[in-house]
This record gives sequence, C-alpha cells and structure tokens, in this order.
Amino acid sequence: MKKAFLKWSINIGLLGLLSSCSFSSVSMSQGTLNGRYNNEQVTLSANGKWLALVSDRSGTPRLMLYNLSEQRFVDLPFINTDEAVVESPSLSRTGRYLVYITSIDGKPDIILYDRLTQRQEILTQGYRSWVKRPKISADGRYVAFETSRRGHWNIEVLDRGPYVELDIPDGSPVNSPNR
Amino acid sequence: MNKNKKFFYLSLISIAAVVNGCGGYPTVVSLPYDFRGTSINSAATESSPQIAPPYIVFVSDRNGIQSVYLYNSQNRKLVDLLGLNFLDAIASSPSISEDGRYIVFVANRNGRSCIYLYDRQTRQRRNLTENIEAEVRNPSINADGNRIVYEIARNGHWEVAFIDL
Repeated sequence: MKKAFLKWSINIGLLGLLSSCSFSSVSMSQGTLNGRYNNEQVTLSANGKWLALVSDRSGTPRLMLYNLSEQRFVDLPFINTDEAVVESPSLSRTGRYLVYITSIDGKPDIILYDRLTQRQEILTQGYRSWVKRPKISADGRYVAFETSRRGHWNIEVLDRGPYVELDIPDGSPVNSPNR
Repeated sequence: MNKNKKFFYLSLISIAAVVNGCGGYPTVVSLPYDFRGTSINSAATESSPQIAPPYIVFVSDRNGIQSVYLYNSQNRKLVDLLGLNFLDAIASSPSISEDGRYIVFVANRNGRSCIYLYDRQTRQRRNLTENIEAEVRNPSINADGNRIVYEIARNGHWEVAFIDL
C-alpha cells in the first residue's frame, strides 16, 4: 500500500516536472519575415544569424526573434507580458544574450535575458535615471545606453564583469577569479 | 553578552553585504564628460550608442550638426572620422562592426534618408540605398561587417530588408 502510494507520488511529481518543462519551452512559429504588419526596431546579432525586432504580427507589438537560416520566428513568452511594454532589443554574437527596455514600475529598466539559462536580470537595479536604447557588445559583457543623468541625454556603459560567460564563437574561455 | 555577540555578527554580515553590493557587477563604467565636446559626453545631446570594445560609436549635435562620432575607451580619445559626416545632413542610427572598421548610418538631407557605409581604412563612404525611393531607417551591421539589416517603408508598413556585402 505504502509502496504504491510512493510510486504514484513519484509519477505525479515527474508529470509535474514534464508539464513545467513544456510550459517553459519557447513557442516557435513559422512565417515569412515581412507580411501585412509592422516590423520595427530591427537589430542583427553579431554573427548575422538572428534578428531581434518588435513585430505586430500577432495583433499587438511583441518582441520577437527571427532565425534567418531556418526562417522562423521565435516568440519570447516570458518577456512579452500584459503588464509592460518591451522595446529596443539588442543581441549578442550568437543571440544568447538579449537586452531590452521595459517599464515595470513606471520607470524604464534595462533587462538582460540569457536565452541559455532562460534567466532575466535587471541591469539597472538601483540606477536612478531614465534610460533609453541599450546595445550589448558582441561578447555580451558591456551594455551601452542613453542616460538622463545630467539632465540631458548622455552615454553610459554598464560592465557585467570579468566573470560572465562571454558569447564568443568557440565557447567561453576559463576565467578563474583566482588567477 | 550573548545578545551583544549576536548583534555584532548581524552587523558584520550586513556590512559585508553592503560592501559586496557596492563592488559587485553590473557596474557603471566611468566615461569622461567635457562640456566643450572634446570627449564622449558633452553639454549637448549624445544618443544611439553602440559598443564594440574599445570603440563606442554615437551621434551628437555638439557642433550644431547632428553627426556620427567614435570614441576609443582605451586611450580615452575621440577617433577622427574624416569624410564620414556631411555638412548639410542629419546623421543618425550608427552601427559599427566588431573590429571598428565599418560604420553604417543614416543621413537625411532635404527629407530624403539614405543608408551609408563608411570604411575607416579607406576613409570612403558609400551610399547603399541610392536607388531606393522609399524611406529607410535604423540600419544594423553584424560583427564581420558583411551583412546589414534595416527598415524600409513599403506596402504601408515597416518591413525588414538586407544588404549582403
């Protein structure tokens, strides 16, 4: 009796895991790049294989990725929510890192989305000025953006640090903090 | 006594957290500011930056004409872009290849926008959309400098277009 219960609970647990996995997967959609809708704020990944853009193809503007070699759209359900406008996308070399602007509490923040770990990070946490148009470097370490810090638009650069996994062609070099 | 000790450790931990938070990443890189406009930031407007270390390309209206500028963060100096900017056109949306050799940008003269490619080695600029009547904007170049994507006003909306060099 106890064994059967254990079996069932394990099964249900596994099912839960499975369903959560399928929920988190990125939904893909076929389709030509240009159609009867606006494609704006288009930007190229550094390797030239991915596009990030804001497209109206699903009725409302959504931040989307487009794989140029496979000619398909990749939707980003975590990023496009009903609560905030997302805009100004920028991609690193292979499209691993995506930075964009969103206004969660009414103030724009620069968000970094790591497509490998599917994690989002607010890069401007505690940054007190208005920000615009972030652009990430090809290796994904630096983000340049516009700031209102001096009462007019100037340029600022964020450094993500020497220990981030760089988006470089043949994997990341080992960069130990002890060296 | 015990309570004191507890408080001591608690404050130690909170101090460590604060120190860690200050020295942590991401951090803002300090860029020079000069109101006369000899450096990256000035009293005028600087916008549309793109970074390809050590270079930062951007536009500024510091000299009365909105032009493209290039900053080298290694020697902390502006790089001369001879032959890139116009005297009678608004430059915008610059994008740079990873080695800093190619800069693509939009120049608008008398209401007509064209996408130009500037080669820092030859100091030549080339009009890439001379034969396109439609409005173009927002070019973006890849790291190798051989593919450009931009937006074009066609069929009543903004479409994506490519130039492979």
